Amino acid sequence: MKIVIRLFLLAAMVALGWWLWTVFFPSPERVVLKRMQSLAQLLTFKADISNISRASRASEFIGYFSVDTEIVVDVPELGAHTFSGRDEVREAGNGGFMSAPGLSVSFLDTTVRIGPDRQTAEVSCTLKASVGNDKDFGVQELHFKWKKIEGTWQITRAETVKTLR
Amino acid sequence: MPVSNAMQQPPKPHWFRVIIIGRRPRLTLVRIVVLVAVCILLRQFVLLPIRVQGISMQPTYHTGQINCVNRLAYLRHEPQRGDVVSVRLAGDSIMLMKRIIGLPGESVAFHDGKTYINGKLLDEPYLKKPCDWEAGPFVCATNEYYVVGDNRSMPFGLHTQGRATRDRIVGKVLL
Repeated sequence: MKIVIRLFLLAAMVALGWWLWTVFFPSPERVVLKRMQSLAQLLTFKADISNISRASRASEFIGYFSVDTEIVVDVPELGAHTFSGRDEVREAGNGGFMSAPGLSVSFLDTTVRIGPDRQTAEVSCTLKASVGNDKDFGVQELHFKWKKIEGTWQITRAETVKTLR
Repeated sequence: MPVSNAMQQPPKPHWFRVIIIGRRPRLTLVRIVVLVAVCILLRQFVLLPIRVQGISMQPTYHTGQINCVNRLAYLRHEPQRGDVVSVRLAGDSIMLMKRIIGLPGESVAFHDGKTYINGKLLDEPYLKKPCDWEAGPFVCATNEYYVVGDNRSMPFGLHTQGRATRDRIVGKVLL
């Protein structure tokens, strides 16, 4: 019986050690997933937040993008637009945060593929977003390219994907 | 007079316990485990429950309706014209519900609100709303199906439709 208990305790210790290891040294997949989740949280805000809070969010939003980032949007409702570089993204982000009457964003079915160099990642997901208190939501398939720049994962390219051609 | 153990009747369980876990708790536990396993397997590999959202499939389907997608529908044969199918985006958390009107290799066009497949008029009894679409022709590749909603009263540009590759079709809508 003692052996069984010892074996059980050993297995529990190994499991705890493994869990602690993944907490303190997370895999790149996990880090990118967390960045995606925190980006969704940043983009989710209520209509009654102050302008200072909106500006703060817009400033934080820029931190997710690399200097040479490129965002390609091509959806029927908005047409085709390309935002090149941080400045253009900042301008669009500021406008969006200041004018949107609240936003609810989540990334679903997120899959992360880390490149062989472990410094780049490709992410596919479905964006689910609703504006203000609207119960209806819009969905859009997205594709991201992330790169680890000076220790931080940043978006180098984001584009909409046409589910139906 | 002393009574032997073999003659003693086990105490009757409380009626509430009988209702909740039955007379034989072990058997009940096995039933629960089997039921949960069957439900998970059904959900994962056979029937995917969905809730309809949006107006593009009106009047056939309305917002809030509950339905199921049969993942095994196209195991033995390929999707057919007229089938209502679910088309996945990045995954199957959110899918598009559309009707197949064009098969691989076919050309789809809309003239004066009517659908033409390879130049021939398509009979669509499920359409109840007026339509004035003028678009196409769109040619499907060998692995593509043209899918569209039943609500053609929406402007063409605002109606999500087009060619879906075979691997995006998750299954056929059951009801």
